[in-house]
Amino acid sequence: MKTAQEFRAGSVMSLQGQPWIVLKAEFNKSGRNASVMKMKLKNLLTGATQEPVFKADDKFDQVILERRQVTYSYFQDPLYVFMDEEYNPVEVEKENLGDVLNFIEDGMTDVCEATFYEGKAISVELPTTIVRTVSYTEPAVRGDTSGKVMKLAKLNNGYELSVAAFVEIGDAIEIDTRTGEFKGRAKN
Amino acid sequence: MQTASLRWHLFCRVIDNFGDIGVCWRLAQQLQQVHGQQISLWVDDLASFAALEPGVNPALPQQQVQGIAVYRWDEDFSLPADEPEVVVETFACELPPRYLHFMQQLTQRRGQQPVWINLEYLSAEDWVRSCHGSPSPVHGMNKTFFFPGFTEGTGGLLFDAGLPALAQELASAEARTAELALYGVHNIADNTRLISLFAYENPALPHLLEQLKQGPQPVCLLIPQGRISAGVEAWLQQPLPVGQPQQRGALTLCTLPFLSQPQYDRLLALCDLNCVRGEESFVRAQMLGKPMLWHIYQQEEDAHLVKLEAFMALYLQAAAPELRESLLPLFRGWNQPGLPMPDLQPLLAAPQGWQQHASEWQQGLLQLGDLAANLVQQVVNRV
Repeated sequence: MKTAQEFRAGSVMSLQGQPWIVLKAEFNKSGRNASVMKMKLKNLLTGATQEPVFKADDKFDQVILERRQVTYSYFQDPLYVFMDEEYNPVEVEKENLGDVLNFIEDGMTDVCEATFYEGKAISVELPTTIVRTVSYTEPAVRGDTSGKVMKLAKLNNGYELSVAAFVEIGDAIEIDTRTGEFKGRAKN
Repeated sequence: MQTASLRWHLFCRVIDNFGDIGVCWRLAQQLQQVHGQQISLWVDDLASFAALEPGVNPALPQQQVQGIAVYRWDEDFSLPADEPEVVVETFACELPPRYLHFMQQLTQRRGQQPVWINLEYLSAEDWVRSCHGSPSPVHGMNKTFFFPGFTEGTGGLLFDAGLPALAQELASAEARTAELALYGVHNIADNTRLISLFAYENPALPHLLEQLKQGPQPVCLLIPQGRISAGVEAWLQQPLPVGQPQQRGALTLCTLPFLSQPQYDRLLALCDLNCVRGEESFVRAQMLGKPMLWHIYQQEEDAHLVKLEAFMALYLQAAAPELRESLLPLFRGWNQPGLPMPDLQPLLAAPQGWQQHASEWQQGLLQLGDLAANLVQQVVNRV
């Protein structure tokens, strides 16, 4: 058991029998020797969020999550199937993938990190930077290499994002998976 | 507002003074008398309670006081006979494990838990608004944090409807003379400033008393017996028994017996300036619309100084610049050993500005509604 004030952003607490990751934790002295913790929590199983307040000395179980490296293999509705390093299949439900879905495509080789809770994969994280190929975009604007003018581009899985005006069909581009934003043309 | 009569269980632990039980008792009374709620109150220190409310018998484990069921909260906590719709733990006090289990069973049986409130400490800090009304999922149930406060988005302050009018009632010269006579104080000149003194032990006290003694303004200091009394007697270098005023220069000092809550309200309403402390007397002075000097409860790591500054920022936000420049160092000097205690005399000689500001501040607080009504509304929304 840990007290509420010992939890930090990134740690996972067991609340009402479910794992909640701490996105934000703010400590404040309320009076005398009392303090409160205002938290922002995300349920790792459902994705639901809440912003509860606790007494700083309220006690909770900390959840230690197992993490494993995996690579994407195939989609078997409604599960996305990854393989771990020993080629064991790791199944993740679609709703637990969140924004990761934007960048999943057949043949991708990114080494991802799967998080397990009680033996079940509950989420997958992509590397911070991934490379994807542009399947369609309007022709490049001649002479503009500044990267400040943006246009839409479609990836092989149909996902659209804004890219620099100089990007062309078939270009490999780098994407920041934390923001989902175009970073630049991939270096060969 | 007409609300259903619900059964409330209130829990109070007395830490080291009268603030906790003072607030709880006033809250219990308002919930019962104004809002028609059925109140049971558990208190771990009935002796402190009896000092504030003479109707309490500290020897009884269970009693009815003004229509409120009062229980001694001791080691052998026994389960209540009735089942609550609302449970309030005040000032972060922990509910007994047996009671928590009782609530869990009640929740299972009813399919609905009692409304569970954690009534917190008063603070003017910004973060309070983001925490007021927030859920707290603990012990398989949901608790709600309820924060008193000075701004929209908080629970407001605890006051009763008759309080703001009390100052008017005691404003005439006749009423003042009659009220002072109750304390054995006679022949006070009309231009004498009345100051009540209620504070924790305070190293700035001798500076304040010296100023008042040497000032041009006659001052009568009314001191309910308490933690500051020893400091006053040390400065006087003699005892100051109840009912035997002492004169030092322009200053008359008078010890009063420990006062019940209604008596203390009258004292605050009578005085031109009230030195108050903690939370309860601090709130009463503000809701009376009177100038006050706050001695804040000292906390670890000087957390109280942050709270003092947060309050001063709000309290002085709309004050005239010259008043702000006078009051800020005064409050700081009264609360921070080592800082100079500014001269109070200019404020006493021309009190209108401070009085006007105190009245305007009071009007702003009244707009927030009183804490008991706000709490009932919160509960009604959840039942």
